[in-house]
Amino acid sequence: MTAIATTAGGSARAARRRSMSRDRRWALRWSYFFLTLFAIFFLLPPAYMLITSLKTSAEVSAATNPWWVYNPTLANYAELLSSSQFLTYFRNSAVVSTVVVAVTMLISVPAAFALSRMKFWGSTTLATGVFLTYLIPETLLFIPLFKMFAVFGDATGIQLINRWWVLLLVYPTLTVPFCTWVMIGYFASIPRELDEAALIDGANYRQVLTRVFIPVALPGLIAATIFAFTVSWAQFLYPLAFTTSTDQLVLPVGIITSLIKGDVFNWGQIMTGALLGAAPPLLIYAFLMDYYIAGLTAGATKG
Amino acid sequence: MRGKLTRRRFLATTAASTALIAMPYVRGSHAAGRLSIVLWDHWVPGANNTSKMLVEEWAAGEKVEVQIDYVNNQGNKLLLTTGAEAQAQSGHDVIALPTWLPSDHANQLEPVDDIMQPLIKQNGAVNATVEYLGKSQGHWIAVPATIGSQIKGPCSRIDLMKQHAGIDVQAMYPAGAPPKAENWTLDTFLKAAEACQKGGFPFGIGLGTTADSVDTAGAIFHSFGAMLVDAKGTITVKSDPVRQALEYYTKLAKFFPPDAPAWDDSSNNKWLISGRGALIMNPPSAWAVAKRDAPQVAEQCWTHGMAAGPKGRFAPFIPYFWGIWSFGKNKEAAKSLLVHLSQPVAIERLVAASGGYDLPSFANLTTLKTWAEEGPPKGTLYHYPNPYSHQVLSIAGAPAPPKIAVQIYIQGVMTKMTVRHLQGEPMEKTLAWAENEVEGFLRT
Amino acid sequence: MADAVIGQATDARNARPRRFGLRSAMRRKSMTAFLMTSPLILLIALLVVYPALYSVNLATLNRSMEHFVGFGNFLFLFNRETFWMVVKQSCIFALTAVLFKAIFGFVVAHFVHNIPAKGQRKWRGMLLVPWVIPPAMSCLAWLWLFDPSYSAFNWIFDKVGIGPIPWTGDAMWARFSVILVNVWIGAPFFMIMYLAALKSVPEQLFEAAAVDGANFWQRTWYVTLPMMRNIIAITALFSLIVTFANFDIVRILTAGGPIDLTHVFATWAFRVGIEVGDIPLGASVSLFMVPILTLAAIFILRDINRRGNEA
Repeated sequence: MTAIATTAGGSARAARRRSMSRDRRWALRWSYFFLTLFAIFFLLPPAYMLITSLKTSAEVSAATNPWWVYNPTLANYAELLSSSQFLTYFRNSAVVSTVVVAVTMLISVPAAFALSRMKFWGSTTLATGVFLTYLIPETLLFIPLFKMFAVFGDATGIQLINRWWVLLLVYPTLTVPFCTWVMIGYFASIPRELDEAALIDGANYRQVLTRVFIPVALPGLIAATIFAFTVSWAQFLYPLAFTTSTDQLVLPVGIITSLIKGDVFNWGQIMTGALLGAAPPLLIYAFLMDYYIAGLTAGATKG
Repeated sequence: MRGKLTRRRFLATTAASTALIAMPYVRGSHAAGRLSIVLWDHWVPGANNTSKMLVEEWAAGEKVEVQIDYVNNQGNKLLLTTGAEAQAQSGHDVIALPTWLPSDHANQLEPVDDIMQPLIKQNGAVNATVEYLGKSQGHWIAVPATIGSQIKGPCSRIDLMKQHAGIDVQAMYPAGAPPKAENWTLDTFLKAAEACQKGGFPFGIGLGTTADSVDTAGAIFHSFGAMLVDAKGTITVKSDPVRQALEYYTKLAKFFPPDAPAWDDSSNNKWLISGRGALIMNPPSAWAVAKRDAPQVAEQCWTHGMAAGPKGRFAPFIPYFWGIWSFGKNKEAAKSLLVHLSQPVAIERLVAASGGYDLPSFANLTTLKTWAEEGPPKGTLYHYPNPYSHQVLSIAGAPAPPKIAVQIYIQGVMTKMTVRHLQGEPMEKTLAWAENEVEGFLRT
Repeated sequence: MADAVIGQATDARNARPRRFGLRSAMRRKSMTAFLMTSPLILLIALLVVYPALYSVNLATLNRSMEHFVGFGNFLFLFNRETFWMVVKQSCIFALTAVLFKAIFGFVVAHFVHNIPAKGQRKWRGMLLVPWVIPPAMSCLAWLWLFDPSYSAFNWIFDKVGIGPIPWTGDAMWARFSVILVNVWIGAPFFMIMYLAALKSVPEQLFEAAAVDGANFWQRTWYVTLPMMRNIIAITALFSLIVTFANFDIVRILTAGGPIDLTHVFATWAFRVGIEVGDIPLGASVSLFMVPILTLAAIFILRDINRRGNEA
């Protein structure tokens, strides 16, 4: 009796397992199907940028099939990459972004450490207040900032307006708050025993930070770095307002102001410039993708 | 704060005394030192080189160290730069100022009566629009620049206008001869627009809030003598000329492309170059790009005058200016440079380098060789600079006080009125809306 | 936030008597803490707070910036029909965009979570691209895709017989386009956050629910959403603030048109303040955003704090 029941039960279970794996396979197929749809949606514009960048302006104007290149040409790329102006923009962007990343890390990491580990008067307010700086839009701040920099330049003789290094001062206002917030999240998740142990061993806070926290929270640091880099690279309004001379411009502003003149848009070149302008963040992202994603989510799950 | 007041008072007295004396500018032998200038970044490849050469020739002669920055108004860059420099009282010495900026920053600009009066004597009178935009309280505060100034008149397709509208634009505006355009009225314009739209090649005129769209609306309104605010600053929205103008333009707008309300300044260029339109209101930039990208379209283009309305024939004129900041450190050199750039020889070189796009604002300089010879088709630009003065050059918003007119212009009130009425709003409601908007512009 | 919890824990520990080193340890700690946060405080005070206060001052001046008018600019704005239109449009834009970004992100995160772990990395990578490209560059691409004369989309529609769509020409389509681009850029961010949160939900909870007979929808409602509540709130808040203050997308695609029907605070402030030259009015418009956003921020952060304390 039991044997029959077991066998019946066994075959029923096996049947259920078979139907479950069939359900699972269908779920997978649907998942891939929708994922493909979404991927097409998300990747369509960059693909179109690429297609347009391979066209001559005659082909663009001729309004033939926009999704196909009849006479592909690398002339746009050659022109841009050999233009010293473009290379200057590129160099300026690279220098500014790298330095801003360094500055951001130097400011946010110690601050995050202090705010997450050391309770002191006003630390809660400060942590929330840091986040609230995002409420104040750039379009509001750039005029008073311009005036401040002009006054500073007159007073000290160090020219800030129309120099790329002024961006080193303003970009951190955009990157530091979020990076601090992310690092607070990461640091808060590090078990207290680690730093307690170090403190008992006689380390001071600086050593706890450098010897214990930074190594453990390295993925978060890298993620914050990548965020800061991407944000700095993509900035448009501040460099537009603060830099004027061609050799001081950064890439996004340089592309838009030198490839679009008057009412003449040179779409082939513009798309090429846009792709080249988007390339560094994309490349960094491609290589360091896991850290990037881990860092984004760290602030969320641990904060 | 106190410092600022004192400086402003000082400037006011200086300006007053300059006016009293009104002596022509004499180039001193002390134009030396350094000068930093902003020039409009030209879209014509190579045009910047000519302006650079002109400036450097002058600099070598005067032993001045010059730094030139080329800036265009993409992303409102020029606007941001001038606004920020004016606020901070620090920046370049000479700056290119589009259309409305001289009156915006009148307080911070050095009066240039001493340059303008001899130039006018030498080069001929300037038109009323230049005076309207370049003068503040009776004093010249900026010099009209050749670089960037333009007329946004009609640029038509010879073949399409002949085929669909039965109009021969080349006969109407022959190259090298005065125009024969008595029949070129707004009624003819309307009929032609309808015919071309039915033929599948609508007129490409936008109804957005960028300059191209607003300028055309402005010319139409002026043709009916319609103004939203008069010269004294009184609101005249609910007047008969305005009603007539709005009625006409709405009728005309029915034949525009359906997404005209969203057009920006490049849309009409693309409309012409892609071969889809029979007429656009634009300076020769569209034709020039067509020469490169769509030659079969370009050789059918002809730039000519605007149609006449009941109160006259008006065409949109968009001047650029060169201004000298009052906080600049080398005004001697700046004035000398502006005089140099406004000499007929320099102007001719600038016009040639821009392929005929740049327009000097002086009456004696509307028949330069460049316009007669540019092609194909040869003579396509002959009537671009309005050589027989047979149309009045105006700007949308005039004759309202500039501080009000600039708001009417930037906010595109006239085109918005047209779009609202076109989409079904009763005229009185549209006028009431416009009046409400303009009331807001009166704030000081 | 987390600090409240941490702060309490630290207090509890410090209460344990370590008398000798306590006071000097506290002094050392405060000193070090101060040194460590001072660059942050300096940066924000000098380059954010001070200019912000200056802008507040600007907003109280008249147009020529010579007289003090207090709330005059705000009262002026409240009388303008366009202003209230901008307020309405900004709110609708921000709320709709964030809602769709959240939905998209949630849905895609589920799909990515479903497929075997090996493939996830690749798909995640592809799907995050829109967020990584600088918005100024991708907006140009969208502008080109929506172009009235050359739209690549309209070309396809033409081939299949549907008429051309006035992507930026008609008010409703223009609003749609702006929201579409905003969702395109922002949804990947949501997807990544939700994916990480999904991964942190213990698998046993799902299995237990399945054993209890719950179907997919019930599991989502009773298990997934409550567990992810914090993430949803934080991401939504951050995105709401950033979307509300958005400038680039509207500016590049529609510049606020047609007839001002896609203007949001930042673009209208720019037009009124910079383009027309009435800087105090522009400052007033921009500042009007701040109370709205602060209210939203406080509301949501308080909710998170409460939940954090409960958990």
